[in-house]
Amino acid sequence: MAAGSRVAVAAYKGGSGLLLTLLYLFLYAPIVYVIYTSFNKDLIWPFPPDFTLDAYFKLADSSTYHEALWNSVLLGLGSAILCTVVATMGSMSILKYRSRWRGLIAVIYLCPLFVADLLVGISSLLFNRQVLGLPGNMGSAMIANAVHGTSFAFLIMIAQMARYDWRLDDAAMVFGAKPLRCFWEVTLPIIWPAMLGAFIISFILAFNNLEISFYNLGAIPTLPTIAWGSLRFGLGAELFALAALVNGVVLVTFTIMYLLMRYRIVSFGHRD
Amino acid sequence: MARRRLGPEGRFLLMALPGAIFVVVFLLLPILSIIVFSFWRTESYTLIPDWNLDNYATLFGTTTYMTFLLRSFTMAVAVSLASLVYAWPVAYFIAKHGDRYRLLLILALAAPFFTGIILRVTGIQGVMGPVGVINLGLMNYGLQPIEFIMYTQTAVGIGVTYLFIPFMVTAVYLSLLNFDFELLEVAKINGAKPWRAFIEITWPLNWMGTVIGLVLVFIPSMAESITPRFLGGPNAASFGQVLGLQFGETGTWALGSAMGVLLFAVSSLVILLMWRTVNLQRSGFTGGGS
Repeated sequence: MAAGSRVAVAAYKGGSGLLLTLLYLFLYAPIVYVIYTSFNKDLIWPFPPDFTLDAYFKLADSSTYHEALWNSVLLGLGSAILCTVVATMGSMSILKYRSRWRGLIAVIYLCPLFVADLLVGISSLLFNRQVLGLPGNMGSAMIANAVHGTSFAFLIMIAQMARYDWRLDDAAMVFGAKPLRCFWEVTLPIIWPAMLGAFIISFILAFNNLEISFYNLGAIPTLPTIAWGSLRFGLGAELFALAALVNGVVLVTFTIMYLLMRYRIVSFGHRD
Repeated sequence: MARRRLGPEGRFLLMALPGAIFVVVFLLLPILSIIVFSFWRTESYTLIPDWNLDNYATLFGTTTYMTFLLRSFTMAVAVSLASLVYAWPVAYFIAKHGDRYRLLLILALAAPFFTGIILRVTGIQGVMGPVGVINLGLMNYGLQPIEFIMYTQTAVGIGVTYLFIPFMVTAVYLSLLNFDFELLEVAKINGAKPWRAFIEITWPLNWMGTVIGLVLVFIPSMAESITPRFLGGPNAASFGQVLGLQFGETGTWALGSAMGVLLFAVSSLVILLMWRTVNLQRSGFTGGGS
């Protein structure tokens, strides 16, 4: 009996581990394909391989793509900063204080999850143009993306901080720390991994968002809107090269994070 | 202290309100405005405040629009269920056995979003399409190509699942992160079989996280407009795709607004129905609070 259940547990563990591996394969196969294609002469028919670095030389020369990349990064950073600040304040207030408004506030923070990107995009386009009289601009796109990212950041932070012991804060306050100092010296050192997670996720969501950004940026190019615009003439080789480079940076970052975790230099909030 | 001290209620509002106002102003007001515009009409790329129900009459009176809506709805239900079944064991594995690499394993699910949706869908085409890696490979070995992944609804379904399944895994994972696995030990000591412990403890206690995951997949799947264009056949146009057209080529914003309102209404209804199944007391996800 005991041996039988141990086998079952091992089979379950192996099976679900296999499912996870297959999921990664599924998620990364198209990306590997894009990277592979970026080194090929023929983008539409990259078989058999005919390797070249043309795409990368073209990318190095193209100021449009540099501008688009910069705009994407700017949009991602601006939106992620907004999301992280708003979500940190919101999630802390809900976890820390008992208030009759808690439920309502939580629902408001989660609202954006229930509205699709496309709807956020077109509704803020019409609101800005018709009600505020604003043409498409970086600020509007940042805000529209941040609204959507806020609830993701909020969810992540609530889930990660649900077990945080707020009595630590109270203790600091009893010993006379001002609220800001208490946050800086007591709360922040513990919750920063949750904030980092929220920041990364909201950055990713805004960085390559097509459906919100497209309707709110006007004529400002970002990576996804350039891709959308170039569809009519076939995707530019530069796009493939850029995607490959971005994924290279991601891979390096992940490797560094892995090493930091492997040798227990930084635990990123994990408690053994 | 010179400054008046705020009570807990005051401090709560001081911290919670800025974000709440931010969301209300930049999400709810735009949604309200498209509800208003959906009762107007458009003439040569301008909205005219001429109150009428024509947009809705057009939507509900034209079979094609209803077909698009039903197609998107069916797709969203199928994708949500597929994600649910696949994501649970995966999320459970990461939460239980991910050890100190859990954050990295989850971030690796989010990292594909660094590559734009259009490139990724092109990549899916490159892998699954008629001249993609899979089918070329099969034909190379003298085998029949797989036909149901070429320009069919199934292909669109796989593509949409590809895009949104990370949301589902993350939501279930975040829920399991706050789940007390000790409870399962207690159940075991008391003689419960693993599957029984799962059905009576793990599943209900994580139902709220699961519902959030389902919503996170359902909402964007229902509105998806890019994937059908690349992976679908001639009869694959989705509601979102046609909605987008109203704001591009045709410039019929009022009709587009009405389509947006309809999409919003259907999505809200689904969310409401799902939310009714959540019991906050049993979910264990209400947040601590002192």
